[in-house]
Amino acid sequence: MIKRTCCCCVILLLLLSIDRARAHPHVWVTFNSEVLYAADGTVTGIRHAWTFDDMFSAYALQGISHARKGQFTREELAPLAQINVDSLKEYDYFTYARADGKKLKFTEPVDYWLEYKKPALVLHFTLPLKAPTAAKAMQIEVYDPSIFVDFEFAKQNPVSLSGAPPQCLATYDLPHQPTPAEQARLSQLDAVPLDPSSTYGEIFANKILVKCP
Amino acid sequence: MTRSRAAVVTALAAILIACSAAIGSAWSAPFGAPHPATAMPVSSLTGWIFAEQAAFYRSLSRFILAAKEDRTAMWELFAISFIYGVFHAVGPGHGKAVISSYLVANEETWRRGVVLSFVSAAIQAVVAIIIVAIAAALLGATAKAIGLTVRLVEITSYALVILIGLRLLYVKGRGFLAACRKLSWHAAPELALASAPAANSSSATTFRLSEGRPGAVAMRGWQCQVGGCTAHAHGFQCDHDHEHHESAWCHAHGPEPAELAGAGGWRRGLAAVVAVGLRPCSGAIVVLIFALAQDLFWTGVGATLIMGLGTAATVAAIATLAVSARGLASRIARTQAGLGLLAMLAIEVGAAALIVAFGTLLLAGYMASEQLWMFTR
Repeated sequence: MIKRTCCCCVILLLLLSIDRARAHPHVWVTFNSEVLYAADGTVTGIRHAWTFDDMFSAYALQGISHARKGQFTREELAPLAQINVDSLKEYDYFTYARADGKKLKFTEPVDYWLEYKKPALVLHFTLPLKAPTAAKAMQIEVYDPSIFVDFEFAKQNPVSLSGAPPQCLATYDLPHQPTPAEQARLSQLDAVPLDPSSTYGEIFANKILVKCP
Repeated sequence: MTRSRAAVVTALAAILIACSAAIGSAWSAPFGAPHPATAMPVSSLTGWIFAEQAAFYRSLSRFILAAKEDRTAMWELFAISFIYGVFHAVGPGHGKAVISSYLVANEETWRRGVVLSFVSAAIQAVVAIIIVAIAAALLGATAKAIGLTVRLVEITSYALVILIGLRLLYVKGRGFLAACRKLSWHAAPELALASAPAANSSSATTFRLSEGRPGAVAMRGWQCQVGGCTAHAHGFQCDHDHEHHESAWCHAHGPEPAELAGAGGWRRGLAAVVAVGLRPCSGAIVVLIFALAQDLFWTGVGATLIMGLGTAATVAAIATLAVSARGLASRIARTQAGLGLLAMLAIEVGAAALIVAFGTLLLAGYMASEQLWMFTR
């Protein structure tokens, strides 16, 4: 009987231990990124287009006044776009760049707007580099360290170069599928929360590599 | 369509496998610690469940859209909703921990555990529907305002859980301390003499009785003994006629099962499930708003209610486990005389403390998970 009680307790503990778990992620984004070049061949910034999943899009659009049913103009969505880029600042726009191994800094986004492509919302914004770089190798990673938002390269033309010297080439690395152990860890992110400074999500980073030999 | 049907079948099979794997690994566990070799598949399995849950969540929008075109697709939406609910309840905030702890602390029956689980899930679904119906459909509130409303309701829910836990902790803690004091007043041999022969003489009847309310029997036994001490100063022996009572654990100084199941008992139980169920599931809110945006609000309502049904099924299963674990523990306790009963009281106090801990964690976790509304605030 003691054995049976133990068994019951073990099953309970197994189930209760994941009670606080939250199924990360909550928001899904498919993105296209464009690396911007100046006339002198230096990289000046990154232009993102993030497409939110349809459910989050509907949620974000809730209560936004619009003149025509089922349609939202850029102007009607301007306040929401402002809120988006403002709140993204805290998360470093989920964009992390390195040039020849050195971390690059971005300034506040410019040219940002929201576009409604039924049923999804697309956030366009440009992240200018604080100082343009002429690095030979550049790595740009897009990910959420806390895995609240899932980022995925768009199916079509996920990465492109704009105004780059002809010898430059962009490639990208898809993040690996989480292993069962990683998936289990993901499922317990709230039970065993990540340290605020943790960059656990980095192992699932979407990597863009730009080489200008 | 066939793909979705395959998904339904796969999911059902997965649930079966999940259950059997969890049970299997637990059964093979010596001394209650899972064997390292069997622990791994379970953790990867929970990982898999979470991955599937996310996939189901994402497919909900597709099925809602399909239901717009094709009425028969609605049934598939409902099937997916149910499975999502079952999977999702393994996840966060559906209060199974709180409900289970509450059942253990309050020596509830499994039947009531199941009913309370269903009531709590129903409240949860209805709260989500009411919030979206009033805020979104009627008032046209923004996501920001709805998020704020949900946060207020959440805080209220967590605070209530803490309050209920504290009240329970106070009641159970007082009983436990009183019992401890009684125990230390009497010499141990006297205690053993008083209860051991009695336990042996009527073990058969004890078991029959315990099928119904094992917890209550143990409790009443203890209360009886304690009561006997205080009222009659006879040590740990009851001074009434044993022949007229079903067990060595003697008779009612404590409440009868029927009394516990009465109106007052239900009211206490309902207070707990209302506190737990008040917190709407943010997933349900998003699904409802998505359905509303597609002019399919009622389809969304149906999906939400069925999701709640799935949630209830999981919570009820876990609650049943909690109640039977307690029942088994109390059976063992009854073979251990006075100290065993003290252990049962300790379990109840521990369960009450767990409710407080869960409430506090939820409140703290909520503080940590503010970014839920990050893009809309």
